[in-house]
Amino acid sequence: MTSTPLISVRRVSKRYPGVLALEDISLEVAPGELLAIVGENGAGKSTLMKILSGVITEYEGEISLRGQTVRFRGTRDAERLGISIIHQELNLVEQLSAAANIFLGRELRTPWGLLDQAAMDQGAAELLDQLECLIDPRAAVRQLRVGDQQLIEIAKALSLETGILIMDEPTSALTESEVARLFRVIDRLRARGVTVLYISHKLDEVFRLADRIAVLRDGRLVEILDRRQTDARAVTHLMVGREIEETDLSSPRQPGEPVLEVEHLWLPWPGHARGWRLEDISFSLRRGEILGIAGLMGAGRTELLECLFGASADRPAGRIRLDGQEVLFQHPAEARQAGVALVTEDRKRLGLFDRMSVGQNITLCTLDRSLRHGLLSRRREDQRAALIVEQLGVKTSSVNAPITSLSGGNQQKAIIGRWLLTQPKILLLDDPTRGIDVGAKAELYRLMDQLCRQGLGIIITSSELPELLALCDRILVLCEGRQTGEFARAEATEHRIMEAATMRRAMANVSLDCERFS
Amino acid sequence: MKSSPGGDSTGLISRLARQHSNELGLLAAIVVVVAITTTFSDAYREKPLQNVQEILRQTALLGVFSLGAAIVIISGGIDLSSGSVIAFSGSVCAAIMLALAPVDDAGNPMTRNLGSGVFAIAIAGTLLTGFLIGTLHAWLITVVGLPPFVATLASLVGLRSLARVFVQEVNSSLTVTGKTTQIYVNDETFNRLGATWWIPLGIFLVLSLLSWVLMSRTVVGRHLYAMGGNEAAARLSGIRTDQLKWLAYCLGAMTASIAGILYTAEVGTANPQVQGRGYELNAIAAAVVGGCSLQGGVGLVSGTMLGVLFLRVVIDSVAKMVKVGADDYEGIIVGFLVVLAVAFNELRQARRGGGKQFFPGRLGATVIGILSLLTGALATIIVGKNAGFALFLISLVGLGLIGFAERRAAARRTAGPDSQLP
Repeated sequence: MTSTPLISVRRVSKRYPGVLALEDISLEVAPGELLAIVGENGAGKSTLMKILSGVITEYEGEISLRGQTVRFRGTRDAERLGISIIHQELNLVEQLSAAANIFLGRELRTPWGLLDQAAMDQGAAELLDQLECLIDPRAAVRQLRVGDQQLIEIAKALSLETGILIMDEPTSALTESEVARLFRVIDRLRARGVTVLYISHKLDEVFRLADRIAVLRDGRLVEILDRRQTDARAVTHLMVGREIEETDLSSPRQPGEPVLEVEHLWLPWPGHARGWRLEDISFSLRRGEILGIAGLMGAGRTELLECLFGASADRPAGRIRLDGQEVLFQHPAEARQAGVALVTEDRKRLGLFDRMSVGQNITLCTLDRSLRHGLLSRRREDQRAALIVEQLGVKTSSVNAPITSLSGGNQQKAIIGRWLLTQPKILLLDDPTRGIDVGAKAELYRLMDQLCRQGLGIIITSSELPELLALCDRILVLCEGRQTGEFARAEATEHRIMEAATMRRAMANVSLDCERFS
Repeated sequence: MKSSPGGDSTGLISRLARQHSNELGLLAAIVVVVAITTTFSDAYREKPLQNVQEILRQTALLGVFSLGAAIVIISGGIDLSSGSVIAFSGSVCAAIMLALAPVDDAGNPMTRNLGSGVFAIAIAGTLLTGFLIGTLHAWLITVVGLPPFVATLASLVGLRSLARVFVQEVNSSLTVTGKTTQIYVNDETFNRLGATWWIPLGIFLVLSLLSWVLMSRTVVGRHLYAMGGNEAAARLSGIRTDQLKWLAYCLGAMTASIAGILYTAEVGTANPQVQGRGYELNAIAAAVVGGCSLQGGVGLVSGTMLGVLFLRVVIDSVAKMVKVGADDYEGIIVGFLVVLAVAFNELRQARRGGGKQFFPGRLGATVIGILSLLTGALATIIVGKNAGFALFLISLVGLGLIGFAERRAAARRTAGPDSQLP
């Protein structure tokens, strides 16, 4: 490290009512380095970055930039000093063009004071070109892929002559090839001397990119490690404050008779060149079996689960048999009735009722079993909720606590509990561990294993392959709506699955060389 | 790990107080307003019983369709049509009575003494009208895909006009008076339905009880809250959201139909030109003041009841103090209370979140001027020129001081002791 740090954070704390989000953080960032910030959900990573980028303006402690104390009054102050942040949820105006977004708030103007569209389009094209982003700067942002949208944010940061770029979980929605492109962009930025603060859950990325790794836990800085002198295991240990016991899911399960059979399932895609979201999918699921569905973004994983649950926008064609009986659900209500449960991908948007309590979230699908004389009995409802809270180990002060007071992992347990109360025959889990911290993930794995051993058939999708490899008895691979592979547990490897998921197309140079972490 | 249902008993009272802080606040506000009015006006002291009855009757009339508005709002929608539904339903009710009334020698229907059978048919027909209107709304929203705002806006505009045409047609075909714009129903029993204080009140209380049971104690009610809170998640939980919307909009329209009957009964006239005009906003305002969130998923029947009562108490209080032309002030009061109720909630959250500036920057400075002018103008109209000018100055200085203090506090918070921006 050089003698004068670029950023120096001294004793910064952030208090929310009842919560200490950050406690006495001090750290320094050297010019040009890439500092990764890791920690479980709620460790305070994002809060710290929001303070550094002027999003949060009230905190204790002080921050200095190039030796001078600064106190931002908003993101504009931070931007003026060359700090840009790329949030997990992108900050783009979807209806506007890429160029308009890049120059938003700093529009170029002609001498007459009108918008200089041509100059902005050209400037945007140049910036995007540097980022290997081959899109039309005039294209509306909402028509672009998430990976390209993210590059627009980076282009915006570049146009501000950013010296410090903060990235909050940038790869969470990217395909492998987009991740590879992003990493190349980051390398190029660093070659220009840009300092990067990189927040991530994914330790393989962190070890691929970082010079140093700062570990946060419960709002405190645990340690800053040199990447070359540590390994994923040590970092995980610091993140959770305890060794994750290796989840023992290896003892073989004994799948029973088939509970779900899918034959030649087609899902139309009106108005799209491909014509089909899903093409000719056939598979079966046995009782007491976990079937994984692997595939990149847009491969059709979510669409497949929606078909099985009667929630797809268009009607699928083909044959679905549940317990030998042919079914074609028109509405999720019918699927629920028949014993199918779906835990949705986007918990906050599609799963959670954030104005309701933990208990109300759990009992929502089975309220008719809490009736007394035809009316809801608060006592019965609470009892049923408490049962789930205890069985699944949902950490909450009471069933009457607001659901939003729970961590992501415990919210997910409550939602799974909601569906377990419906006594389903098959449980569909769409990327259930996304945005959940390491400790809670392990608990969810154990729960799935346990449910499976009780005879439930489970289908799970995941954006993390190691997770599927550890959990599943079989893995089905989708690529652009087609079924491109099916592997039994013994023959599944990360390499073979990726090959199927990209249909043997030349894989982008994804470096999976460092230790995978699951 | 603690997971006892309901928590311990000592926490029960504080939990109830927390859950119902909005209702307790409204109750306190009602008491304060009544106390102030009693102090400054003789009316309450001289004829307390009469005043209470009149306030309760007015509360009941507004309350009936505010319940429906609240249910629609809680379910995540909005119903802008109630004012016109009131007018249309009143016309339908009166028209049915007219059609079934005996005819005198000149060929005019006599509505002075109608049988209970006529009442029953008229009321049933009107409720059916409400059901049909609600169903149409639900179809427009769930099948055609119109936003609730647009679908019910169309009814707001269309139904009143339809009612006016309808009344003229009814009059020209059933009476000898020709295309007149009002239908008169002279039956005294019918008139009492809206004018005797305890009848609307009884109807309101029964409907409130039914609404409370529906929203708090049935599966359907819980599903309405769920749909209002997160519609996509509700559908994916196997809740048939389209059917729930059908129910919600039918309740919205049918409560307005009941109100339409009562308003028509009160004056013995169906007059679609003016009846219920703008009432939809009073109902929405009552629900919002009562704690319903326009985002959906939040609100209580008890809160809505108190919201209506509060609105009527304040309107009555101002009427008692202004004495002349009090009706004209109703809109000002409702508008003011809605802003105040929502701002009050913001204020409570702001206190928790640590400081919110109400008058920031140039916008804030301009608003201080606007608010002072408003206060001054109102005081001028109500009290007199000198008082108006004095109040204008007082609010200008007062709000200016608040704005100044806010700016100081904000600067202290963000600037820090030794801040500098290079």
